[in-house]
Amino acid sequence: MKHPIYTTFAALLVIMLVAAEARGWTPMRPTEVKNIPRSIRDNPGAYRPHYRSFFGTGRYLRGK
Amino acid sequence: MSAPAVSSLSCPQCGAAITLRTLDQAQSVVCSSCGSILDARDPNLHVLQAFEAKQKFTPQIPLGTRGALKGEKWEVVGYQVRRITIDGTSYYWEEYLLFNPYKGFRYLTQYDGHWNDVQIVKAAPAESINGRQPFVTLYGETFKHFQTATAYTEFVLGEFPWQVRVGDHAVVRDFVAPPRMLSEESTPDETTWSLGTYTPAAQIWKAFSLPGKPLRPRGVYANQPDEYRPVAGSMAKRYLLFAAIIVGLGVLRFVTAARETVFATDSSFFRPGAPADSLAFVTPTFTVKGRTTDLEVTTEAQVDNGWAYFDYALVNEQTGTTYEFGREVSYYYGRDSDGAWSEGSRRDRALLPSVPAGQYFLRVLPEAQVPTDFLEYRIVVRRDVPIVTPYLVCLALLAIPPIFWALRAWGMESARWKESDYAPDDDDDDE
Repeated sequence: MKHPIYTTFAALLVIMLVAAEARGWTPMRPTEVKNIPRSIRDNPGAYRPHYRSFFGTGRYLRGK
Repeated sequence: MSAPAVSSLSCPQCGAAITLRTLDQAQSVVCSSCGSILDARDPNLHVLQAFEAKQKFTPQIPLGTRGALKGEKWEVVGYQVRRITIDGTSYYWEEYLLFNPYKGFRYLTQYDGHWNDVQIVKAAPAESINGRQPFVTLYGETFKHFQTATAYTEFVLGEFPWQVRVGDHAVVRDFVAPPRMLSEESTPDETTWSLGTYTPAAQIWKAFSLPGKPLRPRGVYANQPDEYRPVAGSMAKRYLLFAAIIVGLGVLRFVTAARETVFATDSSFFRPGAPADSLAFVTPTFTVKGRTTDLEVTTEAQVDNGWAYFDYALVNEQTGTTYEFGREVSYYYGRDSDGAWSEGSRRDRALLPSVPAGQYFLRVLPEAQVPTDFLEYRIVVRRDVPIVTPYLVCLALLAIPPIFWALRAWGMESARWKESDYAPDDDDDDE
């Protein structure tokens, strides 16, 4: 077989791509939190996102 | 080849013994002791030229060495060093004359560790010109002109089938089609063509059972085979094969993706001084069906020179697992000295990875800074939405090795032609 390392690398890429599509992987990484209290429905304004404690308001400024 | 037939004579200049290996084929012989060039056809070995070389050279393959090269036995009978001068710099190379009584003569040349196995060709190649670069065709193979220079004989040793002299010169034109090189040597009296084949030094060393290791080749020689191009070529073919697989998978994915809308809502934002937290709300529950896949949350807001920010929490009602993320929609536009400009978009798309089936709702906290304090927006949630990025990333990663080898091949070709008459910014290198 010609270029065994390259062929293996390419085959791994294809396998990873198929796996990514099968599992619905995307580049986005949202903060995943377990066991959110059900009271969030009753008082949504009181809920504090966990990522805010790291990133401030979360928004970034734009405009020329 | 049987035992060498030799004839022993004495040098009329210094009295040292002279050995003739090619017998009646020799026209001149060099005394290895005093360096005088003698007429081999004269029984008294008339001196053609006393030693005139400016320096002495020692052949890497001693005269008299015998070996089997490419299945035929040869003996080294002559050695000469030749020179060309380009832009004031002199370049020297060695030529070894090999003899086989049944096959005649052939040559080995060596420059900077690069060896060529050279044979005289009887047929004259057909010459044409393409642009400013001539080329010749021999036996159906096309050779590109590489360099024209005047070669001077600097040092000779052994015997030769012509009357050799130090200071002899000939105009040499080299044409290349790696691993072969066709060379034309012209003197006022005659023109000869020879065909060289690039030969690894290790093969020469093995053929003549030479001690030690050969010099490591330096630089890229005119007809040195491009070792990278075949690798780049076959790797490119492999790339195309896998690229086709990836494109095929991508097409399949885009054709079969469900793109199912699981939730959509239109809402508006109005806050004349309302506390931010009071604007948070939760959506009705919606169902995400099917296999674990990505979930697209599209936010479309009619912002004009303003921004809206949405704190999202996608909550799985059964497990309590929550995916938190924030998205900004901002759109600015205007006109300045450079003309009209715009920045941002009124639409944002977030792709949540690997969201399993279940009952979900969104907790949304909008914030905005818009001129009117009133903003309409729309949120749409879809599952199983294909994205092109992973396919492009795979294609790009896959292309790195072939590109690497192609660049090496390109670099080798550049280095080769840099030494030619066709080097960039180099019109005429000839002496």
